[in-house]
Amino acid sequence: MPTLANQADLAHLHLLLNHFPTIGTILGLGLLLLSFIRRNDHLKKVSFEVLFLIALATLPVYVSGNAAAEALKGQAGISQDAINAHNDAALGSFILMEITGFFAWLSLWRMRRVGRLTTGLTYTVLILAVLTVAAVSEAALFGGDIRHPEIAGGQYAGFGPSGASFISAAAIKDYVLQHPYVWPTCETLHFLGMSLMFGVLMIVNLRLVGWLRGMSFASVHRLLPFGLMGFGINFITGMFFFIAASEQYTQNVAFHWKVVLLMLAGVNYLVLTVYDEAWALPASAEAPMSGKLLGASALVLSIGVMYFGRMLPFIGNAF
Amino acid sequence: MLTTLAQSSFSTWLLSSNSIWAYPTVLTLHTFGMMVLVGAALMIDLRLLGFARAIPLQSMERLFRIIWAAFALNAVTGTMLFIADADKRGPELFFWMKLTFVAIGLVTSVRIRRADFQGGAEPVVVSGADKRLAVISLLAWSAAITTGRLLAYVG
Repeated sequence: MPTLANQADLAHLHLLLNHFPTIGTILGLGLLLLSFIRRNDHLKKVSFEVLFLIALATLPVYVSGNAAAEALKGQAGISQDAINAHNDAALGSFILMEITGFFAWLSLWRMRRVGRLTTGLTYTVLILAVLTVAAVSEAALFGGDIRHPEIAGGQYAGFGPSGASFISAAAIKDYVLQHPYVWPTCETLHFLGMSLMFGVLMIVNLRLVGWLRGMSFASVHRLLPFGLMGFGINFITGMFFFIAASEQYTQNVAFHWKVVLLMLAGVNYLVLTVYDEAWALPASAEAPMSGKLLGASALVLSIGVMYFGRMLPFIGNAF
Repeated sequence: MLTTLAQSSFSTWLLSSNSIWAYPTVLTLHTFGMMVLVGAALMIDLRLLGFARAIPLQSMERLFRIIWAAFALNAVTGTMLFIADADKRGPELFFWMKLTFVAIGLVTSVRIRRADFQGGAEPVVVSGADKRLAVISLLAWSAAITTGRLLAYVG
């Protein structure tokens, strides 16, 4: 299978994408603050959608960062400590970003169900977004220190090996590699999470496509948090794999495709959550063509994610 | 007998062919069948346990067709994978545990279908005994996945 991107491409991609989490979270937070001033719930909804999409887009940013680090390895004038400090700060802010994205999604899901935004969830997202902006700015700052003599004056700020982050990628890697039970346990959970997620996707999207009938869209909408729960399990266990053996994945074409399809499936999930035409769909009615296409694409994308995950050792070079 | 199976020309082809259509495809189909079967069973179990009660129970009856079809796919692909590795899998405790859990899961699915999916007016009241069946189904399929996955790491 032809490669999608070589190491240099991925390093470029990292330089392009790495601005999205910082600017995107500030934008999402800004919209949220504006919605308070204007007392506009529609704006609030948009800010939650932005925060969810930015959380999604941060995955390729983190992943391509590992490829960029591999490309820099051993080059003169590059401090491994600076890279590690950036990596740890990036991982910490990535985790915060995913939690923010999850609560933003949960607010959207609740809003669809109860018809209005719930105050508790809205303030949770607000606080998390503020924390994320702080964390992601720090990660960006450390990233700039890796190779920007104009700001560091040719001198690195002198971060310790683990930086100032509350989490260390190196410690996670050691933990996974030194305890033989961790990898198989994560694999098992990854398969369980996948089944849970796909069960939800199957019902919701087969309903839209028209194979399942007799259930209103509003009733199957209740299952969506279980799908995200399955994704959460797989995100965490997947990150264990990636951090422990990133060089198996960064250069793996099957992994590249998996990430691309995952991004599209994530956008699809957001549309499913807020989709107006389907929401009004009674038990016996057929979905409009847009709904059928949405459902069919969700099924194809999620099967594609599974396919490229399973094919990591065969098409690519993992394991 | 197991060794004969493992040394058959079929096994040699499945394991040592470089074609993507040999071992990788059979394994991927097996994973796909697992995801579909367990996904459908989990959704029925969650509904029986009281989640997403707004979904009319009888409308989920069609999911049993998905369960049987996915099981058929996995019986075929699973047999192929077993033949290829018969001498290794035959004596493996995890392998027989996995088959046992799959059997328990299937029998439970049949019993759930008989108990709660025979038509009748909505909302169907799910009895305590049927909720217990849903719990058994959840545990059996989770255990089947766990033992199946661990097969890749033992022996």
